[in-house]
Amino acid sequence: MLFNSLTFVVFFVLVVTLYWSIRSWQARKNLLVVASYIFYGAWNPPFAALLFGTTAMDFWLGRQMSKASDQHARRRWLVASVCMNLSMLGFFKYGNFLLQNFQWLLARLGIIYQPPHLDILLPVGISFYTFHSLSYTLDIYRGVLRPTKSLRDFVLAVSFFPQLVAGPIVRAGDFLPQLLHPPGLKKGQFLWGLALMTLGLFQKIVLADTLLSSSADRVFSYPGPLVALDSWAGVLAFAGQIFFDFAGYSLCAIGAALTLGFHLKDNFRFPYAAIGFSDFWRRWHISLSTFLRDYLYIPLGGNQVRPFRAALNLVIVMFLGGLWHGAAWTFVVWGLLHGSYLVIERICRVWFEHKPWASTLPIRVLAWFATYAAVCVAWVFFRASDFTIASRMLGGMFGQHPQGDAILTTRELLQIGCVTAGLIAMHWAMRDNTFETAVMRLPPWTIAAIGSAMICAIIVTQGSSNAFIYFQF
Amino acid sequence: MPSSISNFKKRLRLPRLFFRKPSREEQIHGGPPLEFERPIPPAPWGRIAVVITVVVIIATAGWEFYCRSLGYGPTLNDNEDLWTMKRRMVKPESVVIIGDSRAWFDVDLDEFQKGLGKRPIQLAMAGSTVLPALVDLADDEHFHGTIICSVVPHLFFAPPGSPPMDRAEKGVKRFHNQTPAQRVSQYLGMPLEEHIAFLKPDDLSLEALLNRLPIANRPGALVPPRFPPYFQTEDRERRARMWDECAKPGSELAKQIQQIWIPLFTPPAPPSYIPKEVFFAQINEGIKKRFADVTAATEKIRSRGGKIVFVRFPNTGGLKELEDRITPREKTWDPLLKMTGAPGIYYSDFPDLSGFDCPEWSHLSADDSVEFSRRLVPHVRDALNL
Repeated sequence: MLFNSLTFVVFFVLVVTLYWSIRSWQARKNLLVVASYIFYGAWNPPFAALLFGTTAMDFWLGRQMSKASDQHARRRWLVASVCMNLSMLGFFKYGNFLLQNFQWLLARLGIIYQPPHLDILLPVGISFYTFHSLSYTLDIYRGVLRPTKSLRDFVLAVSFFPQLVAGPIVRAGDFLPQLLHPPGLKKGQFLWGLALMTLGLFQKIVLADTLLSSSADRVFSYPGPLVALDSWAGVLAFAGQIFFDFAGYSLCAIGAALTLGFHLKDNFRFPYAAIGFSDFWRRWHISLSTFLRDYLYIPLGGNQVRPFRAALNLVIVMFLGGLWHGAAWTFVVWGLLHGSYLVIERICRVWFEHKPWASTLPIRVLAWFATYAAVCVAWVFFRASDFTIASRMLGGMFGQHPQGDAILTTRELLQIGCVTAGLIAMHWAMRDNTFETAVMRLPPWTIAAIGSAMICAIIVTQGSSNAFIYFQF
Repeated sequence: MPSSISNFKKRLRLPRLFFRKPSREEQIHGGPPLEFERPIPPAPWGRIAVVITVVVIIATAGWEFYCRSLGYGPTLNDNEDLWTMKRRMVKPESVVIIGDSRAWFDVDLDEFQKGLGKRPIQLAMAGSTVLPALVDLADDEHFHGTIICSVVPHLFFAPPGSPPMDRAEKGVKRFHNQTPAQRVSQYLGMPLEEHIAFLKPDDLSLEALLNRLPIANRPGALVPPRFPPYFQTEDRERRARMWDECAKPGSELAKQIQQIWIPLFTPPAPPSYIPKEVFFAQINEGIKKRFADVTAATEKIRSRGGKIVFVRFPNTGGLKELEDRITPREKTWDPLLKMTGAPGIYYSDFPDLSGFDCPEWSHLSADDSVEFSRRLVPHVRDALNL
């Protein structure tokens, strides 16, 4: 079920009405479990069984781990949990990818092997709910979380419908405490939740799908070379599209959870105002970057090791982060690019950070520009379906096709320019701020005007229920 | 610790059931998850909600009245979910209409039901290639019914990856992969579309409105062709009827649409990134392959006892001249019938089917479609030996 669909509107109204009309907290939680499984099953009912299976398995493994008497036994249970979760992910998401690469490798050795094409349907959001579930056993192993005694509560923590399929990646340890007592609603919380959902839908339906996506699609699917203007415009359009799409989804999730009394953390913090790549990753898909930091980067030694090893750790983490996004080498290159950006930034910091000119405004603006441009270059690999398209796009962007075609209309170029300028200006203005403080400073009539304009724009846009980009991950 | 977090803990009195106290090191690295509460900005949210509701209702009603004043009326939108709804109704012995918008506009289901004894299922899709639907029916082992297949060569031979092919594939793909949520959304959306005039994504959506902004394009820009504006209604059976405003002889709308067909039906210039000779060789290969694919699908259907008849529906004016010149009958229609061995009805071969006027050169008016269907049915019966 998509947030931007009529089915969800009806579903959400029914769930919220029932939820707040039931007095028993246990019954409310049961309702949320049923609603979450309906929400998920509305894509493909059999996959709901898979979701329950992995969740129940992690619940059991968590209990076994907590009962284990020694560290070796705990580690064995953890390995079992990690293997179970990653093998599920590996089979559904990377099965064909691995077979294709195995075939390619054998071909290099002169062995002709034709693997069967596995007709595997990717369960929606498997990358997200696998991480929700995995965080539970990992935190029990780390000793920072005690296992819950309620399977129902754990099932709800993993499958809570607002964050189930596209994040934010909510750790069990963040969510389970909220299930101990019935949440109260602070003054304005319900309507603030609806306001966040409206903003999220506006970002998705109006900004991402209507103003940017068709231009990005046209540029990235054009089979011939393009001039620099169109190439850059296509990349900027995609940079905006993916932000509005994913940040919009996250806001909808946070808002929907708030209306039910639950608190989810921010997933984006104005990333296109980032100065440097570590700053970017503190602002972009925060729930993933902190997950990778806590469960991968730090266990690898983090930055408490020799500089070379720390740099390698960064590259490994970003490599796996890239692969998490999709079973394709283009995603791996995207991750490796970000890994190398982080390493370069770290070297630059060592060399220049203490120089007096390093924190002057022109240098900061230059660093922002370099960050934004490098992030956009990396988006080329994220969006391109293969390396031929990626190299053609990069060729266009860096002036290799002066005789290429110009395919975007003037109206599209203006749209991309205005939205991108607005996006960057907004991120700069909000760089050290939050939505909440910004809204707090606005007079009520301005909030009402902005809210009305956004809803009217959503209605006029008549979104066609386009799936969120991150659903495919 | 931020005050909001400590307040939250105090208020909810969360027990430390799940967490032990984080070590210093863990705190440095982000540490274990801590209880978290989102701040709620203080504002008169109730009053704001009332104002927003009133403004949105007034603005939406105003937009609806304005759209109606322009002539738009409530009608279903043709999309892949509606197509899927009808595709699900295909039974092994159904009569199915497939093809492009001419079969969609020009076939009257009542007349066909009277003449054939069965109500046909309308699966023709505007601006689409017939191949995906034909192959889908051919691959349906249970289907051995009757297919009435419209042929507009420009669309019939549209290459893979082109918009007509994409549109058709989207419908077939949705039929096979439609999720329960998409199905429910379609059922929820239909009553809204039947009562609200501005729900027209192709004409009145924000994107469509932006598209119509009079902004001149860069010289040399490869701008996609325009599509005709709203000029038909559609019901739950996917029966399209031309809007009266368009059916009026010499109406402005009809003239406007006529001028849109010309660039849409004119083959695009070879792209700059492929040598011309390679491009034309690919086109010819594509046409040969299309003949072969259609023949294979036709044979598959006929081998199970199914029947198929190809139909060329009327076109007139400048569009007919253009189509006859670019896709002449002897290079498209005649080889198609020869290769497939299937019967065909070319409207101009029969005096009773000729002489209909297409107000916008491509489709019949709603009234004419009834009369045309009445006259077409006996020819279909003859062609299929029914």
